Amino acid sequence: MDVIILLALGVGLYMAWTLGANDVANAMGTSVGSGALTLRRAIIVAGVFEFAGAVLVGGHVTETIRRGILDPVLFSPAGPLGVEGPTVLALGMTAALLGAALWLQAATLAGLPVSTTHSIVGAVVGFGVVSVGWSGIDWTTLGSIVASWVVSPLLGGVLGFLAFLVVRRLVLRQEDPVAATHAVAPYMVGVVGFILALTFVYKALANVVPDPHPFVTVLAAAACGGVALLVFRAVLANVPGVGPGMDPKRHVERVFGWLQIVTAAFVAFAHGANDVANAVGPVAAVVGIAGAGFAEVPETIAVSGWLLAVGGAGIVVGLGTWGYRVIATIGQRITEITPTRGFSAEFGTACTVLLASRLGLPVSTTHVLVGSVVGVGLAQGLGALDLRTIRDIVYSWVATVPAAAVLGAAIFFGLRAVFL
Amino acid sequence: MRTFMELFAKSPFTPLTKHAEKVRDVVAEVRPLMEAMLGEDWRAAAEHYESISRLEHQADELKREIRDQLPRSLFLPVDRGDLLRFLKEQDAIADAVEDLAVLVTMRETRGPDALKGRARELVEGIVRTAETWFSIAAQLPDLQESSFTGPEVGKVLELIDRVHQQEWETDRLQATMGRTTIQYEEELGGVSVLFWMRIASKLGDVANHAESAADLLRLMLARGR
Repeated sequence: MDVIILLALGVGLYMAWTLGANDVANAMGTSVGSGALTLRRAIIVAGVFEFAGAVLVGGHVTETIRRGILDPVLFSPAGPLGVEGPTVLALGMTAALLGAALWLQAATLAGLPVSTTHSIVGAVVGFGVVSVGWSGIDWTTLGSIVASWVVSPLLGGVLGFLAFLVVRRLVLRQEDPVAATHAVAPYMVGVVGFILALTFVYKALANVVPDPHPFVTVLAAAACGGVALLVFRAVLANVPGVGPGMDPKRHVERVFGWLQIVTAAFVAFAHGANDVANAVGPVAAVVGIAGAGFAEVPETIAVSGWLLAVGGAGIVVGLGTWGYRVIATIGQRITEITPTRGFSAEFGTACTVLLASRLGLPVSTTHVLVGSVVGVGLAQGLGALDLRTIRDIVYSWVATVPAAAVLGAAIFFGLRAVFL
Repeated sequence: MRTFMELFAKSPFTPLTKHAEKVRDVVAEVRPLMEAMLGEDWRAAAEHYESISRLEHQADELKREIRDQLPRSLFLPVDRGDLLRFLKEQDAIADAVEDLAVLVTMRETRGPDALKGRARELVEGIVRTAETWFSIAAQLPDLQESSFTGPEVGKVLELIDRVHQQEWETDRLQATMGRTTIQYEEELGGVSVLFWMRIASKLGDVANHAESAADLLRLMLARGR
């Protein structure tokens, strides 16, 4: 049985590594491409904030994957599988991890776009169907997950559109864009700080005051936003303004470059919060069951904080060992996205992904980013967007879930034959 | 991973300016070509025809490249149709110059000094118009960068108005040249009259296409603001 735990941990770490190596690149690539961050700084920012997001907010989506998709009651000793129930769930979760990881490897080798989120959810569903049947799946939860896959890119698009519209109207349209930037930018930083703080301030406050009132939470988050605003204003004050002969547009983009660093961190945080669950969710299930001696499926598990940290660390390692190469490639190829646009797209992405994370919904950060970029394009932000990409994304939806489901189910049969 | 990178297609605005620069090079040959004709230096005229033909061909290639990179699946900040029509009008400027060069070198067309004077005025007129048009076309990447909003748009709209004004003046110069040609119709003979009229018409076309191009840009901007 220890073998299963080790297997789950091993594959989970591998999944985390893959997340760092591939997924993170998209979000950070836009900042490197626009020149807002050097490659080295992008890695550092990503590393710190991915880890923070995973540890501070990663728990919600992790719980969904651990207990939300498949009805845990069916795997308890009182359920249809009897005493073997918890073991079956542990085997199944491990199989799902393996299946998703295999599908990801195969697709990456074939050069196909893949979503780690869709893969893991598909694999878990695949295992669930062959072990406890179609009725064993919590269709309400699965339904909201699939709905979020459609809604999140749209929401990212709307927010990216609105964000750039604000930039366009409050800054680019003005007679003096430099003055407008200096006036508006601190507020944008403040908003980002506010939203970011909102996602984990409740938990932080709960350590000090039992059951904090929502109003207090909002106030605390607003305070964080206010601090961010003042800090950024101080930074701007100490920066040399537009010199004679300097193109004001360059200066505007330069200031937005710093803003983009803020939103890049924001996106990394959101991604860590949402995607760490892809690696850690199934592992948490296995660890929890093993901790209960394979006798039951526990409601809560004691080690979840540690697991999130381990998952976060795995992401950072993947980022540092392979991810930087992918970021460099993307950064070289995407130069059309200037900081004003990058800021808007990243803002839209991060808000959406964080919202989904708070709601416990696993979404594909890449798809949301595509949605946000299209939103910015709709606000006339970009030179040319190839909308065939959207068609490719739909194809990948259609292909990934069944493929991962089949792999998850197949590997589960294999593991069950070996261990039971 | 890959999908995300493919989302960003090549922006057409910088290639459009490159095409405009090539067309400007073609228009730069008009004055020397006409001076050669009016100075009755037919060998020099033939040389200028060669340059014009070569440059116009290069402009055509740039135009084809731009069109190749604008599939229907592309989403642009301006109307794709407007952009393609703008490119067509811009290219037509170069085409008109080439047609002019063909006319000038087809036959040794001579005329009285008064007529040559009108021709020189018309040439100045169309060169002015084309210069104004070029200053607009050169701004395209900047306009895209500031997302077709802001103080730049106002400046470009003023330039577009100026192109209209200059094109109107060119129309009048063209009419004057036509009247002068008719004034000397007995002395010139039918074939020369034909050629002088066609040459005046082609010169006028250069300004007309520059104006059409500027108008299309105004359409593109209208959606932006």
